[in-house]
Amino acid sequence: MTFSLNMAFSDLLLLLPEIFLTCWLCVVLIVDFALPRLPKERLAYLSIAGLVITLGCLGWFDLNHVSGTLFGNMFVLDRMAIFFKVLILSATILVILASIEYVNRFTLFRGEYYCLVVMAALGMMFMASANDLLSVFVSLEFATLGFYVLVSYLRDDVASNEGGLKFFILGVFAAGLLAYGISLVYGETGKLVFSEMASAQPTPGLIIGFLLIFAALGFKIGAVPFHSWIPDTYHGAPTPVTTFLSIAPKGAAFAILLRIFLVALGTFKPLWVSLLVAVSILSMTYANIVAIAQRNIKRLLAYSGIAQVGNVLIGLAAGTKMGSDAILFYLLAYLFANIGAFAVVIAVSQAIGRDEIEDYRGLSRRSPFLAFAMLLFLLSLAGVPPLAGFIGKLYIFVAAIKEGLYTLIAVGLINIVISMYYYLIVVKQMYINEPLDPSPIAISGPMKAVIYVGLAGTLVIGIYPQPFTDWVVSATLMFANFVGPSVTVIPLGPSLGG
Amino acid sequence: MGEYTLLYILFAPFAGALALIFISNRQPLLVRSVAATAAFVSLLASLYLFYAYDPVKGGFQFVQKYEWSTQLGISLHLGVDGIGTPLVLASSILLFAGIFVSWHIKDRTKEFYIWLLILAAATIGVFMSLDLFFLYFFYEMSVIPMYLLLGMWGSHTKKYLEMTDPEGLKLRDSVGFILNFGSNSKEYAAMKLVLFLSAFAVVALMGILLIYKYSGLNTFDILVLREQSNLMNIPVLGTTLDKIIWVLVFFGFASIAPLWPLHSWSPVGHAAAPAATSMLHAGVLMKLGHFSIIRVAFEILPETTRELMPIAAVLCMFSIIYGGFVAFYAKDTKYVIGYSSSSHMGYVFLGMAALNYISLSGAVIYMFAHAMATGMLFAMAGWVYDQTHTRDIPSLGGLSNKMPFISVCFVVGCMASIGMPGTVNFIAEIMIIVGSWDKYPLQVIVAMLGIVLTLAYLFKMMRGLFYGPMNQKYSHAHDAISTVDRLPLLIMIAISIGFGIFPMHLYDVVRSGVDPLVARITRVVPVAQTGDGLGGGSAEMSPEPTGVASVAANKVLRPSSEVSGRGRE
Repeated sequence: MTFSLNMAFSDLLLLLPEIFLTCWLCVVLIVDFALPRLPKERLAYLSIAGLVITLGCLGWFDLNHVSGTLFGNMFVLDRMAIFFKVLILSATILVILASIEYVNRFTLFRGEYYCLVVMAALGMMFMASANDLLSVFVSLEFATLGFYVLVSYLRDDVASNEGGLKFFILGVFAAGLLAYGISLVYGETGKLVFSEMASAQPTPGLIIGFLLIFAALGFKIGAVPFHSWIPDTYHGAPTPVTTFLSIAPKGAAFAILLRIFLVALGTFKPLWVSLLVAVSILSMTYANIVAIAQRNIKRLLAYSGIAQVGNVLIGLAAGTKMGSDAILFYLLAYLFANIGAFAVVIAVSQAIGRDEIEDYRGLSRRSPFLAFAMLLFLLSLAGVPPLAGFIGKLYIFVAAIKEGLYTLIAVGLINIVISMYYYLIVVKQMYINEPLDPSPIAISGPMKAVIYVGLAGTLVIGIYPQPFTDWVVSATLMFANFVGPSVTVIPLGPSLGG
Repeated sequence: MGEYTLLYILFAPFAGALALIFISNRQPLLVRSVAATAAFVSLLASLYLFYAYDPVKGGFQFVQKYEWSTQLGISLHLGVDGIGTPLVLASSILLFAGIFVSWHIKDRTKEFYIWLLILAAATIGVFMSLDLFFLYFFYEMSVIPMYLLLGMWGSHTKKYLEMTDPEGLKLRDSVGFILNFGSNSKEYAAMKLVLFLSAFAVVALMGILLIYKYSGLNTFDILVLREQSNLMNIPVLGTTLDKIIWVLVFFGFASIAPLWPLHSWSPVGHAAAPAATSMLHAGVLMKLGHFSIIRVAFEILPETTRELMPIAAVLCMFSIIYGGFVAFYAKDTKYVIGYSSSSHMGYVFLGMAALNYISLSGAVIYMFAHAMATGMLFAMAGWVYDQTHTRDIPSLGGLSNKMPFISVCFVVGCMASIGMPGTVNFIAEIMIIVGSWDKYPLQVIVAMLGIVLTLAYLFKMMRGLFYGPMNQKYSHAHDAISTVDRLPLLIMIAISIGFGIFPMHLYDVVRSGVDPLVARITRVVPVAQTGDGLGGGSAEMSPEPTGVASVAANKVLRPSSEVSGRGRE
């Protein structure tokens, strides 16, 4: 393998969003340093401006079908990478908006908080574009580095420190597994780029190597049995960081998983289907059952997130073009519902100062808007029509039933009912129980904006999904070549051919 | 109006709910008027639909089709046939009546009407869906409003554990009792209802997904899928796939019907719900089960239906007798009516199981008739509860002095429930009994017994509520005097008696939907099972393979069966 850096200037165009965001990050840092008296929310809006410009740049790429690879195939910019980058940037913008009020709780380093969030986003953007095992390792660690700091940002809070430590130790352990797996795979095949591995033979070393890589990525997405850090870390971390942690790294890790399973391992599909089926069943069932016993809303949402990952893995187990469409669609629906739900949690905890489910007693009397928003977000997570989560779940089930994964679908359907129970427990507290303290809850402007975006996304995707399904179908067109003859019929409008 | 009628019926309540979001709770009259207007638009449009539906032409009319997701093969495909039309009408009547019944709700009025409108609109949506996806979509959508309506405006069931007779006849609802853990709360009822219905809905969804996969057409459209039922006739797991799908679909949807032994959520839910919700719940929500079975299992898997429908014939006996007996011993007004509803739904299953023109038409008319009768009873039980704040029959009595209007209406409601001649229930009952006699004589005898039981428990309840010595505690109770309070009852009584005296159009409409369906189901057997001359038309119908009734076949059939059908009345 040779690395050549003699590239044309136009090639750097592919890196434009990342380069721009890096520069912007430095600008934010300098502004924070140079103008110490500047109100910190200005920094938040400054970061958001940079993220929005980056988002616009990606949108321009998508419309003009800019794509290509860089650095000897290490970095790829295709429509799927653009999709995930848009997902990550949207999540980052919403998280920063939701943090503005919360940041006042931090005693120190309020300005650096935004830089760290943007830095983590930058790392995840590289994850979405990672096209070989080395760039997977580097970008994954880069992204996680920011999170290690962010999780333990509440310096005086024991839970935050505990969560950060757990996250750090297990994260480093996962990094070790990943590096070991990569070395095994490289030793067996001599290749690092995914698309070149497709012709490899399944030797024991290679299988163990990929199992280790899967385990490391399993830590990132929080699939059972690699989930043990999730509840404590989610519980302890500052809630906006939990929000960020619950969606963006999962999305980026799924981009890598899709590339590994559908591109590098496309030919070994019979070998890995049963592995994914097992992990998916375990994640859904375990998380949903344990979630019933939770008393803290953040822990409840943490377990619900593990269960959602189990659902997404159904789509990966289908291992088809349609399965990957369904994953992208599901993540999109999950983004809005999950960020919305966490935004409500932040708003309530700003007013009450606690995150127990009991504290949601009579929320519909104290703030009808928050209660209604939370109701829709939770129902979307549960998969109730006409909300986005329902279409996402159905999309995944349809993709899986075409591959004949009946057991997995049956388990997934049963889990919908189990999850309905604990989501409705929260609904019961909000709507049926009377509040102990009927004083109304005030919501800040940025928080309202986040909740409105979440509501709009949840409802629009649920009621009119066609544009979004078109988008995800065109974003994963490249998998049609790798995954045998796809059973999916892809009717594409002329404007969407990519 | 015209071709867009279905959209008006379906989206008027949704639009009303949306408008209500922007109205403040401080203007209760405005809130109520907006809700009533939305329901009224829906009612007018469905009356138009009912009379504009052309029974001679038959088939699906007022069809609307909009592509919704090409990747998944889903389109918003709406249309009604002779089976859907009366049920759409029943839903919008009950919604309109329900809005007036709940006129006096003070707590969070706006939210109440929003959820009530969404519930009714979702139910209406099921009755007009010609796409499996949207059928499930609306079906599942109707469940969550029930949770909130029960939980927020419902009432606890204090007397649930005292449902046993003091003499020792332990006739509790066994499943409900085991799962009850001594809790009689509305929260429990609401949660049980949602989990029960969702659990069985996903069973049905599994069936729907299997249909989708094995048809191989990448579509959820019922009209396309029903031409492909033979594709599912492949052996699997020692039986055939179509049987598995049929069982999944049947039991998935039968839970909401509710067929014994899947009924235990229903009386608990009825009892906890506010009056208008009980009306919609018993009046139309339960019929979603029968309707979805007809739409999915009967339309798409006609041959399997013929083979497996005897299951329903067996279970419906238990429904009728069990529900009847529990209703007889229950001491809570809403339990009596709730169990009576689940008992009466057994008749519908009997009519469906016999699978001939007369009995299936009877079943569909019965769904319509029962919606009116049970709607009345729940509205009046709700009124009595509002006045006295108790549903305990032994502690009530002599209320006829205080509420003469309600007690007269109650007599009419009982008559309708029992199936007195002159009400539309009579026509439906007699058609079910006559149509099923040949195939299931035992079940018919049980059904007759069920009618006697109905008479017994309704009269017992009537005596307990309105006659006998009066409990002075309730001397402040007063009658329904204002138009707003009387209107819903008068509407339902008028519909019930009106169609009882002039059933022709209703009958024609229902027959135009039932005939092609029965012809499809029985086409392989040239001699129809109805040997008493009632189903004489089936032999002529059998060469009609497309399933969409041609005008000619209908014309041949209608006079002969109509004469015999009418002869029995």
